[in-house]
Amino acid sequence: MTSADRARRVLKRLVAASAAERILISSAALGLSILLGAVLVLIAGRMTTCTASDAVYYFGTGFCYDPVLVFDRLFLGALGEPFSGGWSPEGQFSVTLRETTLLMFTGLSVALAFRAGIFNIGTQGQMVVGGLATAVLVLRAADLVSGVVGAVLLIPFGVVVGAVFGGLYGSIPGFLKAYADANEVITTIMLNFIATGVTLYLVSGAFKDPESAANQTVPLPEYAQFPTVLFGGRQDFSLVALAFGVLAIGGLYYLLEHTAFGYDIRTSGLQPDAAEYGGVDAKRTIVASLTLSGAFGGVAGAMYVMMVLGTFQSGLPSYGFDGITVSILAGNNPIGVGFAALLFGVLKSGTTVVQFATDVPPQLVGVLRGLIILFVAMPEFFRMVGRRVVDPGSKPVATDGGPAKGSADE
Amino acid sequence: MDRRAFVKATGVAGIAGLAGCSGGPSDGSGDTATESPTESDDSDDGGEETTAAETTESGPAANVGMVYATGGLGDGSFNDQAQSGVIQAEEDFGIEYNEAQPDEVAQFSTFQQQFAQSSDPNYDLVCCIGFLQLDSLTENAESYPDQDFMIVDEVVDAPNVASYTFMEHEGSYLAGLMGSLLTTQEFSAGAGSTVPDSAALGFVGGVESGLIQRFQAGFEAGAAAGNGDTEVLTNYTGSFNDPAAGREAASAMYNDGADIVFHAAGNTGTGVFQAAQEAGRFAIGVDRAQSITRDSYADVILGSMIKRVDTPVYGAIESKVNGEFPGGEALSLGLDEDGVDLVYGDSIGSDVPEAVADEVATAREDIVNGDISVPMSPE
Repeated sequence: MTSADRARRVLKRLVAASAAERILISSAALGLSILLGAVLVLIAGRMTTCTASDAVYYFGTGFCYDPVLVFDRLFLGALGEPFSGGWSPEGQFSVTLRETTLLMFTGLSVALAFRAGIFNIGTQGQMVVGGLATAVLVLRAADLVSGVVGAVLLIPFGVVVGAVFGGLYGSIPGFLKAYADANEVITTIMLNFIATGVTLYLVSGAFKDPESAANQTVPLPEYAQFPTVLFGGRQDFSLVALAFGVLAIGGLYYLLEHTAFGYDIRTSGLQPDAAEYGGVDAKRTIVASLTLSGAFGGVAGAMYVMMVLGTFQSGLPSYGFDGITVSILAGNNPIGVGFAALLFGVLKSGTTVVQFATDVPPQLVGVLRGLIILFVAMPEFFRMVGRRVVDPGSKPVATDGGPAKGSADE
Repeated sequence: MDRRAFVKATGVAGIAGLAGCSGGPSDGSGDTATESPTESDDSDDGGEETTAAETTESGPAANVGMVYATGGLGDGSFNDQAQSGVIQAEEDFGIEYNEAQPDEVAQFSTFQQQFAQSSDPNYDLVCCIGFLQLDSLTENAESYPDQDFMIVDEVVDAPNVASYTFMEHEGSYLAGLMGSLLTTQEFSAGAGSTVPDSAALGFVGGVESGLIQRFQAGFEAGAAAGNGDTEVLTNYTGSFNDPAAGREAASAMYNDGADIVFHAAGNTGTGVFQAAQEAGRFAIGVDRAQSITRDSYADVILGSMIKRVDTPVYGAIESKVNGEFPGGEALSLGLDEDGVDLVYGDSIGSDVPEAVADEVATAREDIVNGDISVPMSPE
């Protein structure tokens, strides 16, 4: 058997894996990445110097960094010390949920486009545009209403503004792809730069807060920001925003699986020619799915402005690019995006805890994070690739047309 | 291929490699060896030394938390300079410190809180580096009234925060003075020379803001003080990270007769240095001694207006250790407080005529004594 055949068989096995098997594979990958990461931490611990009292000892050798402590902090720290009795709702767990909420939206944005067979790398730009629009328009609207009424009106208004502007910005590469045959990977990447540049120009000029040295808009009043429900206020987290995120996941799942439009999207993604032959308007589907994808990105921007910062400041964190990884991790499944976003949120928030609690340099923690994501995402990634290489149905059928195929597989 | 043999070999090689690494904890026995003579020394010297030994046993003089600006350590300027302040304080006062390097704005708040909440150790002072931390520190200073903070480059009005800003205009004044004295002279050094028949200088700024305007105001005032006829050409490129724009702006100034261009534009200033080399004129650097940090341009860098971020960090720790923490105060660091200064270029600074250097030194004294007051905003 040649190695190509062997690879094809592995791919086939992966593609055919059941849900339980996939979870098992992912967990095994997680464990493996932690083991490998631990070895890296140990090696790095031998390459630096420290006093004897700071070191830990394994196998009779001293190491400067303790991998057990690192991973303990990375996961338990991010969950806010669930086992040591020190759990407090104001603690790190809120930061984790805050990151999760934002990544849910960017993850959904990428996942939706992926399902339609479009690679939307522009979520970051759509988020930036949506965020700035929200910051500016909500601020204008906040003069008109105030108090509880203000909160009830302004927050949905802000989310809608973010969605509309993000969606409009997302529709640009959609139109370009549908009517000018421009590759969406190129256009979305380019539009990211344009979004960053233009918003920087606006926020350092027309919309700049004259009181602040930073390039930011005038901060939103308290009632125009997501309210603290139960916990998380000090960490800029709001359960309301998380509820929005869960709703969005449910909504997108329903849309994709149970509506005619969702069926159009999925078939276009799987087999564009067949979809068009079956009566799907390919151009319309491309524009619509990129617009909707952009809308999710825009909502992420709105959430960042109305929940985290309370203002739009140039240089938004790269939630949009993280969304690509979240989506791949989730196999482009909306429900999976929720869990992938949580894992990502834990890692992001845990990184700060590790940095605080140990001497391990942040770059090394970044490597550990990358390892975990790489390992967990790879099986899913190969499944996606595999689905294109091998035929997932793969039951030998008489009308298959491939005479040797059925027997060769056995 | 024998997989088992391969795994075994890799394992053995790996362990051998690990053991062979030069690092790791310093040897335990070595530590005791160095400790025991110290103890015997103590007993020889008697009372005074014993108290010193006791203080070290009871823990560090203070625990300091550092929250750096985004960009982190290794940026070769702002954060590294702040770190050198805390390292100096560690040597001088025996404090201990822990560092956090946020990579996005939302993490400022997280790290400030982690330091403020920590009880093992309990942080005596949290240093927040950079003006972007203003919003989060304003909130956290209120949430943690018992925690002392300090912030660099911004002012937080809270009783537990000491705020440190710099008087960039004072250092820039000296740069302007030096420039205007040299532009009318026939002066050549390194790769540059002046055109004595035109009295013009240039100023290239990054993003226009109150902070950068202080550089401009001081520079213009200094230029006017040196020679009333000096014309100062000004250009804001709108970015701190656009060397091409800096080069273009400075080239235009050199073409218009400017002999020396001063920049307050971060990395955009690299373009100013390039333009100076092309035109065979001079430039003045900013924030750090750029004739050293950008040594490929040392032959055109006359000097640099340095901003010493380590001074407030060191100063705040010192006052904390001495129990005189200036909470609630807003301190402005100028020439007198070692916050800013003009340093001459590493390679061509020594060629600056003595008469010019003397006049600059006199002006420095006058500013320190309050005889000259430098404006903070351009006219």
